[in-house]
Amino acid sequence: MKQRLLWTTLAAAALSLPTFAEEFAVGVQIPLTGAQARAGTGMYEGIQTAAELFNKGNAKHKIKLAVVDDESNPAKAVSAVEKLAAQGVVAFVGGFASNIIGPASDASNKLGLVYMTAGGVDNDLTRRGYKTFFRVNNTRGYEKAVVTLLGELGVKSVSVVYSTKEATADLAKDLEAALGPKGIKVSMHAFDPAITDFKPIINKIKLQDKPEVIFMSAYENDYVGIIRAAKVLKPEVKAVIGVWSLATAKMAKDFPDLMPNVYGTSMLPHPVEFKQAEGRLFAETYKRLFNKEPDYQAQFGYVKGQLLFEAIARSADAGTLKKGGLADELRKTNRDTLIGRVTFDASGDNPNFQQRIGQHQAGGKIVIVSPKNEASGVAVFPGLPW
Amino acid sequence: MNQRNFLFAVLLLATYVLVPAVFGDNNYVMGLIISALIVAGIAIAWALLGNLGGMVSFGHAAFFGVGSYASALLTMKLGWPVLLAMPMAGLIAVLFSAAMLPALRLSGPYFALAILAYAQIFRILATEMDWLTQGAKGLSRIPTLPVLFGIDLGSRSGSYLVIVTLLAAFIACYAWVRRSHYGTALRAMHDSEQATRVVGVNSVMLKAWMLFLSAFMTGVIGAFNAHTINFLEPDYAFGGGWSVLPIVAAIFGGYRTLSGPVIGALCIYLIDQLLFKSLLPTGHQIMLGVLLAAMILFAPDGLLPLFRRRHA
Repeated sequence: MKQRLLWTTLAAAALSLPTFAEEFAVGVQIPLTGAQARAGTGMYEGIQTAAELFNKGNAKHKIKLAVVDDESNPAKAVSAVEKLAAQGVVAFVGGFASNIIGPASDASNKLGLVYMTAGGVDNDLTRRGYKTFFRVNNTRGYEKAVVTLLGELGVKSVSVVYSTKEATADLAKDLEAALGPKGIKVSMHAFDPAITDFKPIINKIKLQDKPEVIFMSAYENDYVGIIRAAKVLKPEVKAVIGVWSLATAKMAKDFPDLMPNVYGTSMLPHPVEFKQAEGRLFAETYKRLFNKEPDYQAQFGYVKGQLLFEAIARSADAGTLKKGGLADELRKTNRDTLIGRVTFDASGDNPNFQQRIGQHQAGGKIVIVSPKNEASGVAVFPGLPW
Repeated sequence: MNQRNFLFAVLLLATYVLVPAVFGDNNYVMGLIISALIVAGIAIAWALLGNLGGMVSFGHAAFFGVGSYASALLTMKLGWPVLLAMPMAGLIAVLFSAAMLPALRLSGPYFALAILAYAQIFRILATEMDWLTQGAKGLSRIPTLPVLFGIDLGSRSGSYLVIVTLLAAFIACYAWVRRSHYGTALRAMHDSEQATRVVGVNSVMLKAWMLFLSAFMTGVIGAFNAHTINFLEPDYAFGGGWSVLPIVAAIFGGYRTLSGPVIGALCIYLIDQLLFKSLLPTGHQIMLGVLLAAMILFAPDGLLPLFRRRHA
């Protein structure tokens, strides 16, 4: 009797022991210093939030992040990938800017490890035929967003001012090809990334093109230069529209005289508000971890991290993780996320991706105005910063 | 074979065999060593121009970028074999360096600034000639180094063998020029260029040859880098880092010596990436800056002369 009691107690004790979750190391190669540091830091914070929420909600598997700063340098990005691979990571998440993601994902492909990103939209990245490369956003998603906005506003003519950098030039040319068949008149104006005086281009637009809208495919400093020049020359347009890094709280705060009524791509309104419970949980966790509001970079970082971690768990459950099954598992992804539905095609691209368009409005707010079914407010049109 | 040559041969053999044997399985460390040796290659070319030609350059990125693009385009557009395109890229860098001949009339900081300006001009040309270079978008999927005699030169160990061979050839060439009567004439020019010309030395021609040799070496290293990283864009290929880091490496190691630039490049790159970066993952460059400042204050001739003095 005593022996039976002893065995019963031991069995009960064994059952009550905590089960140890299997831990998987995921490599994060990201720019935390150098020219891309601001965007890279935002993405990394999103990835950390995804790992925090995954680990909290998953008793069976844990994700451990191993991060290496690529210093915004392609050679150091390759070294980072090789260093993390030597540490035994099961996959990579991160990267920012196509010129860095390209060599880094080449290295991960040679090592046979999955590379998941949201920081490079260059079309060439998905033309390499890699089975290990995945990204949640692409130029097409930005192009769709701008085409949708122009359609909703009923615009008939656009002057496109674009930097000759790869992503900006790709977007401008894709947009030109998409708008022509819709009967929208498009004039193209390329500029070297080194120029700072945009008055000659704006003057040409004012006197020659006379469009309804100026569209900028460029980066932060370029936007400031273009809008400043436009504010001086005051072309008779109805709207000024840009893309990434424009409809942000930081731009509203740093350039309050230049931003009113300007449009830019944005997944989030400011102040941040989420309709779905998942979004609210993300924002809450992010605020708790970093004591600030999340921005769209963090949101992209969160989504790519979340999808990769979930695929790792599924692959581990299926026993395929160590046999190279992670890429196949990621390719099965089909779910709604904070940036919309995500699936991956054979090239690793997300064909569903579509950006949203936000507008800087009164009180430093950023209101999502397009597409209409996602809008958090109404567009001020015509509306200009001057 | 004299004792020095024998030592060089033994050291070279050990370098060929030992490093891949010890680190061959660690792509990360091999990658760092290759990156350091790329900097070392430019540092040798820079030190050669400074020591023998008497010209301080702030624009070796110009030759590096031209060599990178030349080799990438020869292989991608004309289908040249990589190992043939690399020396040709060096010759194309020489051709471009001919545009700098008017700057040879200048000396000191004026020459340095003129070369810097050339580097900027070449960067802008690479950006604007998008029909050839794909402009700011850059070139991706540049062919990697081939398999030769069963050795995959595109692998980390294979690339290491290629870069060590290039550096050994550069050092041998540098040593030969230094020992030759050209070297004597060049050293004499440092003391008094006018006096050297009086005794019949064509100083402009000698300086031009040093510029060409330095451009060739840097161009070949640029080509090697392009086939290792498989990607190029103007801001990267002509980046200021390719001008500044080799100068720092050469001064750190001892730019008046043959092996000082190589030792300097290995020290600053590997200490920074392996030690400082692990201690301070972001902002580790501060520690490197402090180390460099200390070196310049306490050992202005560099690491190798300091080591020799200590053991004299």
